[in-house]
Amino acid sequence: MLTDITLGQYYPGSSVIHGLDPRAKILATLLFIAAIFFAESMLSYGVLALFVAAVILLSRLPVLMVLRSVKPLWIIILLTLFIHAFTGEGSNVLYQYGFFRLTEEGLIMGIKMSLRLVFLLLISSILTFTTSPIVLTDGIESLLRPFKCIGVPAHELAMMMTIALRFIPTLIEETDRIIKAQTARGADFDSGSLLQRAKNMLPILIPLFISAFRRADELAIAMEARCYRGGEGRTRMHELVYKTGDFIALAIIVLLIAVLAVMRWGLGL
Amino acid sequence: MPISLEHVSFTYMKGTPFEKTALHDVNLQIEKGEFVAVIGHTGSGKSTLVQHLSGLLHPQKGSVCVDGVNLNAKNAAAKKARNSVGMVFQYPEHQIFAETVYEDIAFGPRNKGLTPEGTDRAVKDAMAFAGLDFETFAQRSPFRLSGGQMRRVAIAGVVAMEPDYLILDEPSAGLDPRARDEIFKEIMALYRKRGIAVILVTHNMEEAARYATRLLVVSDGRIILDGVPHEIFTNHKEELLKVSMDVPPVYKLAECLQEHGLNVKSTPELADLERQILKVRRSRHAD
Amino acid sequence: MQSLIEIKNLKHSYIDTDGNEIHALNGVSLDIYKGEFIAVIGANGSGKSTLARHLNALLLPTEGKCVVAGMDTADDKNLWNIRQHVGMVFQNPDNQIVAAIVEEDVAFGPENIGVPPAEIRTRVDNALAAVGMTEYAKHAPHLLSGGQKQRVAIAGVLALEPDCIVLDEPTAMLDPRGRIEIVNTVKKLNREKNITVVYITHYMEEAMQADRIIAMEHGVIKMHGRPEEIFTKVKELHALGLETPLAAQAAFDLRQKGIKLADGIISNEELTEELCR
Repeated sequence: MLTDITLGQYYPGSSVIHGLDPRAKILATLLFIAAIFFAESMLSYGVLALFVAAVILLSRLPVLMVLRSVKPLWIIILLTLFIHAFTGEGSNVLYQYGFFRLTEEGLIMGIKMSLRLVFLLLISSILTFTTSPIVLTDGIESLLRPFKCIGVPAHELAMMMTIALRFIPTLIEETDRIIKAQTARGADFDSGSLLQRAKNMLPILIPLFISAFRRADELAIAMEARCYRGGEGRTRMHELVYKTGDFIALAIIVLLIAVLAVMRWGLGL
Repeated sequence: MPISLEHVSFTYMKGTPFEKTALHDVNLQIEKGEFVAVIGHTGSGKSTLVQHLSGLLHPQKGSVCVDGVNLNAKNAAAKKARNSVGMVFQYPEHQIFAETVYEDIAFGPRNKGLTPEGTDRAVKDAMAFAGLDFETFAQRSPFRLSGGQMRRVAIAGVVAMEPDYLILDEPSAGLDPRARDEIFKEIMALYRKRGIAVILVTHNMEEAARYATRLLVVSDGRIILDGVPHEIFTNHKEELLKVSMDVPPVYKLAECLQEHGLNVKSTPELADLERQILKVRRSRHAD
Repeated sequence: MQSLIEIKNLKHSYIDTDGNEIHALNGVSLDIYKGEFIAVIGANGSGKSTLARHLNALLLPTEGKCVVAGMDTADDKNLWNIRQHVGMVFQNPDNQIVAAIVEEDVAFGPENIGVPPAEIRTRVDNALAAVGMTEYAKHAPHLLSGGQKQRVAIAGVLALEPDCIVLDEPTAMLDPRGRIEIVNTVKKLNREKNITVVYITHYMEEAMQADRIIAMEHGVIKMHGRPEEIFTKVKELHALGLETPLAAQAAFDLRQKGIKLADGIISNEELTEELCR
């Protein structure tokens, strides 16, 4: 049933990682993604792996759950591996079949590229596992605010996300009810040609759209009645404040980048 | 032949921390010609119950049969059986989708496989039932009608399926008293004319007392009381209060009078209570 | 008593989607006093909601005047000040809650008017306590019951610290339990916090709780008085398409049949007392 879907993948907890400021976490995630591209040797990939493992442990999330977040993109990861392995330049041929040539260099490159993807997925899912969507929205708004002068609508984007988070469960429930109501009138959603099936969806989609518009209209009036007039002059109940821990976390990431840079260019490892 | 539920159990979000059992081993039979009111507070399981009656939810345990046909089988007989149970959801006007009143009401009959002539007749009958003049309304956009009229179009859309069992989930919700009375007048006319079974889910005790021949009280996924409304409202007030239900106002008035020593019997009809009061007063004056 | 809202010969008309001019309000005059509880009854389309929406400048008069705490609603610069004085709760509890966490939603109003964070916190806590929803502060609104959602909506209005709350059929979509929750909450706010209440409803037993009742039809006030004055006018109420409390109906019928009863009977207790005398 539709209503069985649980929204978002926030996993409440009280770990060090959960407690970090959302802005610090978003910045740290971005910096980590940069760090990934500093890694060159297998040894530096080892350092990255250790770091990711440490973050998972610190977050006290179920390890399997975090690892499972790689699942949705496993095809792309495998594809990355194969494309690099079979098309990479290199002289050390391990296997050849007609046009396809598997080289040692290509294989290593493929593994590295896939690892980059895996690290990226793991670290960004740790961000969403440890940060509630609402706090994440606050963080994004706060980080985007300086870019308002170049036309980034930070407040509006955040308000849209907030309202979406609030109404997605309501609209899922509503969809469920409309499907049932039309089913009770003998509607059939599972048979016929593709075009026919698309047409069969109209008795669901039209009421759903009408309802969404009505809700939007009523919500707009209710917001106006509560003195909403855009982001200008607005305050927040929860103001984001950087704490020592946030600076330490960012410092650690910068250190990680430094270590990787030194390994690559200083020591040639 | 009846709708029958045998040992039906149902749990929402089974196997998750949000697991909630909505029905516990429910047994129930509803015959054609009955007018059954189902009461129970929000979350009691009454919505889950009526969705089983119409085959919209499949029992996790037990079975639901209409006229001996299991509703959850995947064959033509089961589909026909499901079509014999009409379901009007709460705020049914929110499910209207077609460009004209005619097209929206014709949706059900067409899905049932009626011929164009058959559909036409079913739509005309349903509109007549709902008090919607064919000439005036058939080609109008349902979205431009008033709230009360949209409600009638939506109910007509289910009635046009010509169900033997008609389930109505709070058909009068959000309407003013006049519109409420009209909707019920039409439902009663249909009930009497076609001899169908009506299953009315309601929060309004007065509606239950006035229209139903049978009352089901649902609490915590079980049918805790099943009987004639008058009998339940007279003799089971304590049980009703315990599950946050109440008796209709006219029973409360009778009870208040009885407590003060006036010799009147509780009754679902105000007129009847007034006759009793007059009799008591006369006999008192005669003394 | 000092009047908080003055409505003088208020008219409102608009053009509907078919191009017809609709006269939703046809000259309404009414004073609403500080601290009173006033109920507005009337069939669908009688103009109740249109009237309500003039009270905090969601709609503006086509003709006539609506003055809130000395401020004319037609004057643009008063707009936000008026909306802080008069809060509004709507029928559908789902469509007026903005945030995905209860306390965040209650904070929405004060955030909009730029209240400092620490004070927002206090206001939110007080508002949630006033409607008895403190323990649900961190919950997701879509998992609450209808009555609880509607109490959150009331808290959201309270956090703006208004003088007056207008409730537009707040119980129409609720079950009996939710309806009792809302009526009790509103009564408590009126008695204990001296908040002026304008309460629109179809339910006569709810209207009976008010100090004063306005009955509307076709955009004008048809009846106006204390509950015992309004509900004993059985014939007039029926003509407006409205119901009467059962005891008032019974008293009316019994009088017709020649039983002498005192005036102003609207409750079972009053009727019983009269009959047993």
